Amino acid sequence: MKHLEEAELVEHYYEESANMGECERHLKACPMCARQYAELCRVLDGVAKPTPPARREDYVEQVWQSIGASLPVYEKPKSSWMRFYRPLGWAAACVLLVAVAFVAGRRWERKQTSSVAVAVDPQARQRVLIVVLGDHLDRSEQLLVQLNHANGNDVSALPLRSEARELLASNRLVRQSAMQDGDLNVEASLDHLERLLMELANEPDKLTEADLNRLRHEMNTDGLLFDIRVLRSWVHSPGPEQQSARQATKGVPI
Amino acid sequence: MRWMEESDDSIRRAILSGDKEAYKVLMARYTQIVFRVAYRITGNESDAEEAVQEVFLRGYQSLATFQGRSSMATWFYRIAANCALEVVGKRRPEAQSRIAEENDPERSEIQLADIQAGPERLLLSREIEATQQAAMSELTPTERTAFVLRHMEDRTTEEIAAALNIAPNAAKQAVFRAVQKLRRQLAPLWVNT
Repeated sequence: MKHLEEAELVEHYYEESANMGECERHLKACPMCARQYAELCRVLDGVAKPTPPARREDYVEQVWQSIGASLPVYEKPKSSWMRFYRPLGWAAACVLLVAVAFVAGRRWERKQTSSVAVAVDPQARQRVLIVVLGDHLDRSEQLLVQLNHANGNDVSALPLRSEARELLASNRLVRQSAMQDGDLNVEASLDHLERLLMELANEPDKLTEADLNRLRHEMNTDGLLFDIRVLRSWVHSPGPEQQSARQATKGVPI
Repeated sequence: MRWMEESDDSIRRAILSGDKEAYKVLMARYTQIVFRVAYRITGNESDAEEAVQEVFLRGYQSLATFQGRSSMATWFYRIAANCALEVVGKRRPEAQSRIAEENDPERSEIQLADIQAGPERLLLSREIEATQQAAMSELTPTERTAFVLRHMEDRTTEEIAAALNIAPNAAKQAVFRAVQKLRRQLAPLWVNT
């Protein structure tokens, strides 16, 4: 026979046992468990249930006096129509906000589009570049002609060095622009020209006949002059044929 | 007072609408229960009074969160059990042992003695009472609260668990441990009688 455990006896005492009938039967049949249960009942029955002392009539008032001051007053809730309309108000505000954002966005977009269109229009950019390039090539050709035809006597009177310095700055800009456009022919010719301009800009004040010959030979000024003239003629007459020819010769050294 | 006839819920709504004084009606309704529970758990009057103040303070502060899933009586009952448990937990060990002292004035309030009994019986009754008090003071606050709620307040395991915010099995174990301890301390007394 399996005896009841102490926890089961306690559960039985408080009538919380899941199988009260079974426990009851076991207690009747098992003297040992019955003895233990009787002892438990005697102990628990003997535990007094203390009766609290009576309170004075004004006890509630007394407690209220001690805590009342520290209790905050609850705020009256908003009236029902406010509760009903508040969500609608929020919804209207949201709709208005979205509408304002939409209109502002459209206006901003329009403004941005027009300015960007001007800035990134490739044809306009190309036209500006051709004008600048044409002017630059004119001046470069003049300089090269003077350089090729100068002799030892009059070379000191020519403003070759100062002109070379001015052209050097503009040549860099034009060459970079051509490089960005992917125009390799123009870029190669301008790179050649830039090396010559740099030499000239750094030459001493008084060039001798020997200096001139060395420059002409090392820098191949005749070849360079030819390239510049080809470029110049192409720039000054950019018709459809030249445009297509230019596309065809793109990437081929002149 | 104009709220005396009103239901707990209408009083609660009045308080939440700004009528702070209406809370006194709820206090008047539940002070007896709250004090009784607090007294039985703490075992003395001053601690019970401290717990009562705390119960009504907390009750007011959390009135807006009361959702009416249980009655307000049960709700205050739970707060009372918790506050009394905290008071017992805060109590110093020397204060606990004081409960069992022979000359404790509060002991006279909780005696079981039969007034008609003779001097010997009265003496024995006092001894039993003192031993019970000592045995109760040996329990942990949770065991003590669980035992009081089970044995003296006739609450079910589920109700004890809800009041103490613990699992039902933990509540059952707390009651069982309390009974074990009390049995060890008190059984010798009954053997001799």
